[in-house]
Amino acid sequence: MKQNSMLAMILAGGRGSRLHDLTNKVAKPAVGYGGKYRIIDFPLSNCANSGIDVVGILTQYESVLLNSYVSGGSKWGLDSRDSGVFVLPPREKADSELDVYRGTADAISQNIDFVDSYDPEYILILSGDHIYKMNYSKMLNAHKENNADATIAVLEVPMKEASRFGIMNTDPETGRIVEFEEKPAQPKSNLASMGIYIFTWKLLRKMLLADMKNENSSHDFGKDVIPAMLNDGKRLFAYKFKGYWKDVGTIDSLWEANMDLLDKKNGLELDDRTWTIYTEDAPATPQYVSSTGSVKRAYVTQGCVIEGDVRNSVLFTGAEVKAGAKVVDSVLMSGVVVEEGAVVQRALVADGVKIGAQAVVGDPDSEHIELIAKNVKG
Amino acid sequence: MVRALGIISFSESNVWVEGMESFRSIAAFPFLGRYRVVDFPISNMSNSGIDRIQVYIRRKPQSLVQHLGTGRHYNINSKSGYLRMMFASSTEENDYYNTDIRTYMEFIDHIKNTSNTHVVIAPGYMIYQQDYAAMLNAHIESGADISVLYHAVDNAKDAYQNCYCVNLNRQKGVKSFELNSGTAKNRNIFMDTYVMSKAMFLDLLDEAQKLSSMYTLRMIINAKCDELDIRGVAHKGFFAPITDFKSYYDANLSVNREKIAETLFKQSWPIYTRTNDSCPAQYFESAEVKGSFIANGSVVEGTVIDSVVGRDCKIKPGAVVRNAVLLDNVTIGEGVHIEGQVVDKNAQVIHMKEIIADPEHPGYIKRNDVV
Repeated sequence: MKQNSMLAMILAGGRGSRLHDLTNKVAKPAVGYGGKYRIIDFPLSNCANSGIDVVGILTQYESVLLNSYVSGGSKWGLDSRDSGVFVLPPREKADSELDVYRGTADAISQNIDFVDSYDPEYILILSGDHIYKMNYSKMLNAHKENNADATIAVLEVPMKEASRFGIMNTDPETGRIVEFEEKPAQPKSNLASMGIYIFTWKLLRKMLLADMKNENSSHDFGKDVIPAMLNDGKRLFAYKFKGYWKDVGTIDSLWEANMDLLDKKNGLELDDRTWTIYTEDAPATPQYVSSTGSVKRAYVTQGCVIEGDVRNSVLFTGAEVKAGAKVVDSVLMSGVVVEEGAVVQRALVADGVKIGAQAVVGDPDSEHIELIAKNVKG
Repeated sequence: MVRALGIISFSESNVWVEGMESFRSIAAFPFLGRYRVVDFPISNMSNSGIDRIQVYIRRKPQSLVQHLGTGRHYNINSKSGYLRMMFASSTEENDYYNTDIRTYMEFIDHIKNTSNTHVVIAPGYMIYQQDYAAMLNAHIESGADISVLYHAVDNAKDAYQNCYCVNLNRQKGVKSFELNSGTAKNRNIFMDTYVMSKAMFLDLLDEAQKLSSMYTLRMIINAKCDELDIRGVAHKGFFAPITDFKSYYDANLSVNREKIAETLFKQSWPIYTRTNDSCPAQYFESAEVKGSFIANGSVVEGTVIDSVVGRDCKIKPGAVVRNAVLLDNVTIGEGVHIEGQVVDKNAQVIHMKEIIADPEHPGYIKRNDVV
């Protein structure tokens, strides 16, 4: 059997309530993005491309669709003899009551037996709701070179926004973390934690067992485990990430992340065959632009039929724009139909929604993007 | 319910697609930028509940093997069913000897030793949608020895040049098969599709061997039209046999998206294919696209009219593509104007600023070529 030196655990339990109706039925990591993807395709593809074979997915909120989506792992090639994607909802165990995951750290604590069964040297903790490409094996190399106990991926954010993030204050020479501040009013650095951690498993295991017993702990990596490690004088290092990274927490930011794809150099380069983002391939017919259609500055996937006018927009699998309809600055999710003569502007239209003939939705001058989650009558 | 064995056949020796077939078998030809021709017969079988499928391959297997792989994407249970590739292992200099029957005989154990009572044989070089379960039930109901599929056309003078026709009597009994001579407009084009019992199939193979080592399945059945009860079953909807270069070009460009929605791309009848993990297609400000199929991974900055663009193609600014079929990963350079062409995989049209042919006589740009 191949040695699984690093196991990945993806935290995918969050509801993402600021995405409103989009996450009524599905967890945030299963929300669609970029025409044919779901957000969780990014960490999973990154794992597959980084040579990680075993991935655990910690689910909690509305996990049925997410479970069936990730199960088997074949979409990301994680289905060979020694690899796999495992969905890990809270379980009832012989020695403990069934309990929800009380925090990010607790989700791992409750699955120590799962991790132990693979006997990994390192464990990679990821968030299931970020869009980015990253080679985790390079981060592991840095972790080993630093002889670190924990390595935390950080992103340089504009100083004026730093107070919105968990900020790492580091020794500029070595990158060793000296202090961690959650949303500091007066930030001393602009290195924001991306919620991506590599731990040496033996040590983390010990810390988690202690944390489980600590009644004052909120069982969170950022709030409890990392500060405890710093207190104990452990070796924590920051790993600087450069490139596209987006936390799509709101309708506006989800829309923006989609619009980013319309630029030639968008930083995400989904067409880069050396780091493919894998996803489900739904049976769909080839996309078709009819003699009445027009498409400019758009990202369009298979199954779409365009008979109307599409500009500055992203169309997901099977979206249809009928003759005389106009779609501008918008995102049409899977199976959306925009009937004859309808106009959609600055809107994000949820899966399967129908916009009736001649209807007008969204406002070109609005500050926020309108979410259309229910059928609109013509 | 009877459980039929599915057989995907290769064409007779009169079929050859100039240019493209040097690189891959017709079954592996791309269709509408997304599919391979073989996806249609296999999906038809899979959707009809046929879960043991043998694909017979005569030459240039690489492309087809890569596409079929484990067959998992065709929605077949991989334990109780299978998708198997059967390679013709020996070939004679004289192509008349390289018949379908010769290859069936090579694998006769694989055909005999299945619990299947019937066979459905469909060509790996024709595109159409058909419910074989319905055809099989009707066949059993009718008590006929063999049922064959045909498509009535009114343009047999100009098209279907390498196809056979079925001559029917009034009761839809098949009197004979003959090569389309192009002398009549209205003909019943034979769709090289058969339904029969496995016992009948094995008898025919035996008999063909005894009569002539150059006989194909169609030939032996033709010779037995008087003896056997052979029924023609009419097919309606989209039908595109790929039997020469022109028919491949026409098959891609004759597709009327509005019309075929119900006859080839039914919601209840998915056509499965292998994903190649391309990202969505990207259209830029300068893109002008009309009446065209565009596959994922393509980047469109130029003009595309009445064409099919395969995966990962690049249409540069100022380029004009009209009445053309682009296979995968083709580049049409800045200011290049192409019309009436089939551009094979990986070709780059950069230096030639104008390559124009009449759609009646389309041109072929070679695979991997830079022009």
